[in-house]
Amino acid sequence: MGGGIVLIPALTLLGMDIKQAIAITMVAVIATSSGAASAYVRDRITNLKVGMFLEMFAIVGALAGATITLSAPRRPLFILFGLVLFISWASLFARQGEHWRQAAQPDRVSRWLELHGSYEDRASGEIVRYHATRAYLGGPLMFGVGLVAGLLGIGAGSLKVVILDLVMGLPPKVSTTTSNLIIGVTALAGTSVYLAAGAIDPILAAPVILGVLAGAFVGTRVLVRLTNQTVRRFFLVVLAILGIEMIVRGLRGG
Amino acid sequence: MHTTTDQRVRGMASLVGYTLLGGVLTSAALMSTGLVWNWASSGRVQGTPPAAGTDLAQIFATFLRQLASGTLQPRPLIYLGLAVLLLTPYLRVAASALYFAVVERNLKYTVFTGFVLAVLTGSLFLR
Repeated sequence: MGGGIVLIPALTLLGMDIKQAIAITMVAVIATSSGAASAYVRDRITNLKVGMFLEMFAIVGALAGATITLSAPRRPLFILFGLVLFISWASLFARQGEHWRQAAQPDRVSRWLELHGSYEDRASGEIVRYHATRAYLGGPLMFGVGLVAGLLGIGAGSLKVVILDLVMGLPPKVSTTTSNLIIGVTALAGTSVYLAAGAIDPILAAPVILGVLAGAFVGTRVLVRLTNQTVRRFFLVVLAILGIEMIVRGLRGG
Repeated sequence: MHTTTDQRVRGMASLVGYTLLGGVLTSAALMSTGLVWNWASSGRVQGTPPAAGTDLAQIFATFLRQLASGTLQPRPLIYLGLAVLLLTPYLRVAASALYFAVVERNLKYTVFTGFVLAVLTGSLFLR
């Protein structure tokens, strides 16, 4: 669960303009995803081919999304943000257990794209082999998620995981680490649009980025002490409150 | 032969891992230094927002120009931290391109990664 989706409502509550909050958060997303990725790549669970194939779609979406935000009115941004919060809420709610079953045979497109792999499960010590399916759906859907990420300045990790998990049938660990890989590159594409437009004030952005990095550092240490259930319940409550808040502000006019 | 490829992949993964970590830490160090310096010299935490956009080339040029003439200001230092952060995932894509081209010799994925790299390069120098 990323920081962007919580950070933007928090910054707007502190009085920051939503477009500025979106632009600054997009940069912070690069920092957190690169920090997390530095640990993931060494575990070798990330599937580089799945990541690269989907990145082609995600970055084009992000560039388009960020360009739209620059000239978009603010109210629809609030409402769209509220909706994405509820989708994240639903995705978190639905992902109760992490039972994964290998999908049936891969289709021709996924086979041509060589979307398969294996990793060693730390808990059981087994080698898990898997293949992806429905890449022909995953690609275009990832364009849509990239568009949302660029529009709202978020990593949209929960939406990416839904595509990797439910559409392409990858194991949860592979989905989580691979979506993080895609997030970093998507956020970079979005950030460059905001930077070129002068929407990022570095003196305002720097403390936010440093705060998010410090938060991520402390957060992971606190998280390991809590049970998964506690963390899940906490996020379910936070996402629901923020979702309602953003939609109400969108309807009222910011 | 198989072991050497596997070792190269493993070596590559840890290299990429450390590059990512190094990038984030360097960027954080540059930004904190710039912020503290800005606060110490102006007594204010906030600055004036930039009037227009900027790109990577401009950020590096301003920083080097000020460094060479001995008139370095805190703002270009913070900008430089931002630029280092932007280059971190970019370097990762570049490393992947190299991996597909040299280690795996996979034409399909070299083309895919090349496309991502080209789009990112274009967007980083967007004006």
